[in-house]
Amino acid sequence: MKVIEIKDLHKIYNSTEVKVHAVNGVTLDFQEAEFAAIVGPSGSGKTTLLNLLGGLDLPTSGQILIDSVDLSKLKPSALIDFRMKNIGFVFQSYNLIPVLTAKENVEFIMSLQKWTKQNRNERTYELLKAVGLSDRENSRPAKMSGGQQQRVAVARALASRPKFILADEPTANLDTKSAESLLDIMVKLNREEEMTFIFSTHDVRVMKRARRVITLEDGKVVSDETREK
Amino acid sequence: MITAIAWKNVWRNKTRSLTVIAAVTVGVFAGVFSMAAINSSILQRIDAAVNEELSHIQVNNKDFRSSADIQNIINDYPEVVSVFESTPGVTDVTGRLIVRGIASTATKSAGVEITGIDVEKEKKMFTISEKLIPGTGSYFEAETKFNTVFIGEKLAKELNIIRYIFTPGSIDFLREEGVPSTVIEKLETLQGERFTSDKKLVKAYEKLLAPSEVEKYQWKIKEAAWSYREGSKLILSFLDINNNQTGAAFRISGIFRTNNDMFEEICLFVPIEELRQLTGMKEGTYHRAIARLEDNDITNSVTREIRQKLTDYEVLNWKEIQPDLAMISDFIGQIYAVFMVIILAALAFGIVNTMLMAVLERTRELGMLMAVGMNRRKIFIMIMLESIFLSIVGGFAGMAVSEIVIAITGKTGINLMKYSEGMEAIGYSAHLFPTIDAQFFITTTILIVLTGIISSIYPARKALKLNPVEAIRTE
Repeated sequence: MKVIEIKDLHKIYNSTEVKVHAVNGVTLDFQEAEFAAIVGPSGSGKTTLLNLLGGLDLPTSGQILIDSVDLSKLKPSALIDFRMKNIGFVFQSYNLIPVLTAKENVEFIMSLQKWTKQNRNERTYELLKAVGLSDRENSRPAKMSGGQQQRVAVARALASRPKFILADEPTANLDTKSAESLLDIMVKLNREEEMTFIFSTHDVRVMKRARRVITLEDGKVVSDETREK
Repeated sequence: MITAIAWKNVWRNKTRSLTVIAAVTVGVFAGVFSMAAINSSILQRIDAAVNEELSHIQVNNKDFRSSADIQNIINDYPEVVSVFESTPGVTDVTGRLIVRGIASTATKSAGVEITGIDVEKEKKMFTISEKLIPGTGSYFEAETKFNTVFIGEKLAKELNIIRYIFTPGSIDFLREEGVPSTVIEKLETLQGERFTSDKKLVKAYEKLLAPSEVEKYQWKIKEAAWSYREGSKLILSFLDINNNQTGAAFRISGIFRTNNDMFEEICLFVPIEELRQLTGMKEGTYHRAIARLEDNDITNSVTREIRQKLTDYEVLNWKEIQPDLAMISDFIGQIYAVFMVIILAALAFGIVNTMLMAVLERTRELGMLMAVGMNRRKIFIMIMLESIFLSIVGGFAGMAVSEIVIAITGKTGINLMKYSEGMEAIGYSAHLFPTIDAQFFITTTILIVLTGIISSIYPARKALKLNPVEAIRTE
């Protein structure tokens, strides 16, 4: 079942002197429970495409339909609400809230969505266990390693059961061991929770694990390869 | 959750937050305490004016104040008393005879206003009897065949009734008061000397002591040398009802000390029967009727009512008799406002600055919050709550410190003896007992919270203008 449909997507940045066509006519579909990597050289448009998919940026033209909802037709406030309910984000720099513990960081989105305390606690426990951090629930980000912080970020992204997760270079700041461990967790969650994961990455380790690899160059899709794993 | 995050964010940079809180605390304390000190000074002055000098309302013959002719009496005193007694809010009424005259001793004389009073009634209505300087006699309590007079310290000094004498007792007193022996040794050369005025004494010890010693011990030296012989007399001269010169010797019953030099210098009190006899005024005649009210706040309304009923007389309340004091009393609200504006402006600038820095430092985090679905309203509320927490913590700490210091100094007082000469010359006490009403604290609390909210608007709007995509990329 299609989760995301991208139709002839364009994003042009108009700076004072130069016009940059960051995304140039991209058309793609993503199915439920996909584990896809968007790869390409720096400046190929990976992050821009991810931002457009996440509703953080607006396309110049084209459409992004998520469960048949056209993102460009949503009002800003509705878009924020839509993002909160349907999209999970994992950032390169983890971006946890430093004053909150691991548990509170995971609970945060559920709390914004007004989940009951009991449901929040159950889901947080389940996710921290899944990412192997149930013993660090009361630790603040500053007391955790980069790998552990990124695992909390993954748990946070999954907390409110979004339709898909967008991960922008999630392993870029991690050492090999931490990166492998994180990928193991994401693969497991992808299978167990049937959650769609879309990465933008340079990391070969991510590419190897991905079941679909989309290559961008100059804002265009130059290859879209699906592998059986 | 938003509230919890906002509270935790306040303590994210402890040093900075504590600095702002400390600044707010000091600012609020400085403002509230200064206000309490000014307030106490004004209230003490009003209290003295009403309770020692004027009472609430006075009724005179319409010509009395302009000419002070002994003939300008209240024509129908019983009617005036009856009007007062039938007016709600009036608790006591008394009558006075007032003549202008000269007080003299063997060496000096001074112009005075001699007020004949109903001693028992006035003791109930005024607090002047409580201002008796210990050791100078009593408030008309001594049994004597002589005429008696109750005079102010300033007049007593002016007439050389109070002098300064350095006795062995003065030296002992200084020793007990902890004056250093080096200073006492210098002052011992003054033993046995008499000084007829304050100025002469000052001149004498200034020759002996260093300026710093003078500044530190002058009040103790004056107190040690202060001398008064109980039962001293003075001569009062004035015109009688037939405009003939009259007068008599009066034994000083006691000497009072207030914070108003002018009042002490001019006003002296004698029993009304004695003055009536000397002036030849008929029984039941008075120059002034004075009323006391149950509450100072009803002064204006009761004055209006009395004035409507006593159209043939001049009816004045204390605010009209001393318009400068009334103006200061009315002005107190504006002084409050000026202080509040200063306090709150400092608070607002501190908070705006801190919150702008906080927003700048947390750009990436705010971007992330927007990305994951925290809407603008919640971000605005979060920043606003942080500002409010900062202002509330600082504001409450400032008010708690103020409350404690005001409670302590309200009992012990603040001694500004160094400035007493100047302050008492205009009727203000040099010993302040800071006080502030609960309403001021409540208003200040509300204003601090409002300032916190208003100060948060600019930083919060800055946060809302962030573009999540750019904010997340911020290093």
